Amino acid sequence: MTADMILISQEAAQLIKTSGLWGHLSLRISEPDALAGVISVSEQQKVMRPAALEPRNHVLRCAGTGSGVWYRVGPELHGAALLVSVRSSGLTLEGFRGHVPSGFKTPGAMAYYALTYAPGVHDPPYNEGQIPELMAWHVSADGAWPISTQVEPQTLGLSQFAPSWPVAELSESTVMLVGGGSIGGAAAHALALYGVGNLLLVDPDRLGWHNLVRHVTSSRHVGRYKVDALADELAQIRSETRTEALRLDVVVDADRIRPLLRRTHVVLCAADGIAPRRVVSHLARRAGIDTVLACVLQDGAFGEILRLRPWADRGCLVCERETLATAGGMDIEPSLDAGYGTGTRHRPMTAVGGDLHLVGQLAAKVAVATVLERRGQADQRLPGEHTVWALRPQPGAAPPFDLSRSGELRWSPAHPPRPGCPTCQAP
Amino acid sequence: MGLVKAFDDYQDSVNADIEQVRLARARRDVFKKALGAEDDVEEVFGSGSLARSTQLAPIHDVDLVVVFDADAHPTWGTAGDAAQEALSHLGGKVHVLLGATHGTVDQLVRLADPRNHAVKCFLDDPEDPDAFTVDAMPALRQPDNTLLIPEVTSRDWVSADPEYLINEVAKRQVKWPYFRPMVRVLKNWRLGVPVEGKIKSLVMEILALDCLPTAGSRPEALRAFFSAAAVRVNEPITDPADLCGEIQPDLDRVGLRDALNEASELATQACAAAANGATDDALQVWAQLFGTDFPAPAKKQTSPSVAAPALITSRPVKDAPQG
Ligand SMILES: [Zn+2]
Repeated sequence: MTADMILISQEAAQLIKTSGLWGHLSLRISEPDALAGVISVSEQQKVMRPAALEPRNHVLRCAGTGSGVWYRVGPELHGAALLVSVRSSGLTLEGFRGHVPSGFKTPGAMAYYALTYAPGVHDPPYNEGQIPELMAWHVSADGAWPISTQVEPQTLGLSQFAPSWPVAELSESTVMLVGGGSIGGAAAHALALYGVGNLLLVDPDRLGWHNLVRHVTSSRHVGRYKVDALADELAQIRSETRTEALRLDVVVDADRIRPLLRRTHVVLCAADGIAPRRVVSHLARRAGIDTVLACVLQDGAFGEILRLRPWADRGCLVCERETLATAGGMDIEPSLDAGYGTGTRHRPMTAVGGDLHLVGQLAAKVAVATVLERRGQADQRLPGEHTVWALRPQPGAAPPFDLSRSGELRWSPAHPPRPGCPTCQAP
Repeated sequence: MGLVKAFDDYQDSVNADIEQVRLARARRDVFKKALGAEDDVEEVFGSGSLARSTQLAPIHDVDLVVVFDADAHPTWGTAGDAAQEALSHLGGKVHVLLGATHGTVDQLVRLADPRNHAVKCFLDDPEDPDAFTVDAMPALRQPDNTLLIPEVTSRDWVSADPEYLINEVAKRQVKWPYFRPMVRVLKNWRLGVPVEGKIKSLVMEILALDCLPTAGSRPEALRAFFSAAAVRVNEPITDPADLCGEIQPDLDRVGLRDALNEASELATQACAAAANGATDDALQVWAQLFGTDFPAPAKKQTSPSVAAPALITSRPVKDAPQG
């Protein structure tokens, strides 16, 4: 069995580094992937100690087995290996053996894998280059051939971004995401990628087959609540974000949303339908929390993101909509005048998944920028409070929707509250 | 001139003169000694910016809290005449102990004028707009260690916790030695902000507590402060001990927000210039933000085209894509 790459867990690397001059290895080798992984390590003839890769369901778990040897070597070997690997070449067996001070196993008819550990690569003159401490070899009677290695890094995760990204500030932030559909799902993934530490996922709906065509998730979640599916996925791929799946409808369960807002830093509402957006705008303003509303308009022609701030000179969603309508920019849906929950909840699916994901990701960016601006991150100030993004623009739309090229983005300022607005007036 | 030196020099121009601080403290100590020796007084302590070491030059006033023995004044702390009575009682004591003509301990105070929460004691001519005053506030200690203070306008007593702010400022100062100096810089900055009316100095102190980082260089901390405060100022700025409500309900929030936003833009430019190695440009921008007391580079000061934003030369973006 042959492998082009060997994976080494951090645990295996540490065992090799702390175990003397040489030892044995056991490997799993996946032929279709041309991939091997170290699963245990010994010091000379002593007992093998397990040091497998996590997670356990890795492709190598079901693969075939193999064995190998590791050697402690001088840095010259790794320097030479870099030279020969550039030429896609190898060392003669004698040449390789010359660098191994102890325990060398001469290959018989069967080739074997070897790992070499060269602690001297950090000393001059070798520290100048990018010479790795651990290398893998395919050792046969014909010679020793370097093969690729991947050593699990000591640090994984978002902390790698610090200090160039405010990892700590975001990890202690909480975003309430209302709506776990196509925009909301993409936003959830993006929020986790930014490093938001706590996500409150709010959506009462289940995932249907008809959702799959544009949702971030896969068919294995069909029938489950969208928030549960998203929470499970994020737990697997973005474990640094803690999620709470809340099967709540903001309109019906407003009383259960209110207390959650007390520990929320910003609300991102990706719910479709007029009523949930209005309720979020109202509840968040009363709680004094910034809100980001994301949607597509005009059958997916435009993406729209609106940031609402609970300030005396800034209006709520209804005020913004009425200002836009008065200026001739928008027809307000008739259901806007209907009571909560009586309007049509869903429009037919017209927007394509990729466009919705773009809007979700930009909405996540706006939410994160909102959190960070409050923390003094000057580079996260936005150019306005309302943005319109042309996705499939048609000529003739009124400002600010008069965009003519796909991808065009326009920011506008916020507007003051309208007189007598029940949301914006002090309670 | 480097940025560190420039900020140090500017700090000297903002800080209260040490002689003034000494004089203010000496006058405060006379009050503490005189009032503290009274039978019905439990303790006297300083509470204003002098106590927090965030005072700005020139020093016009000193705040004092005089904690009385509740057993000696059983009616105090209840609604009605007691609030006025407590202020008159304290005013009378100041007159007897420290009155300019016949004070038994010292002859300092020309006029002791009971106001809403405190007795304003004039040590200079009360007509002088720069008159030095001591605000002495009577108080009762409550079981939770906060204070109960008289409020004449409401004929009642309200809770207060001036020690909370003193402690918070001290804690920040331990974390970051520039905290108090920067509070003074920000309080000074506010005096030049074009707003309707004034900005209370306590508003700036609370904004600093909420928005001024306690790490990093002074330029970076200022940039973060202005950016965060431009958001924070839109929400009510209340007593940090959460006892009495909004500090300045008539604050021109939009005016202050605009000024903070502009300062944030300038600070961002200044930090970018410094990061580019353009120290003179950075100094120029900080001088635009803080005014002529900030030491700008001499040779550029006379140039008519001192518009700082134009000074920052554009910088090519490196073609080093990340996938
Ligand atoms: Zn409104």
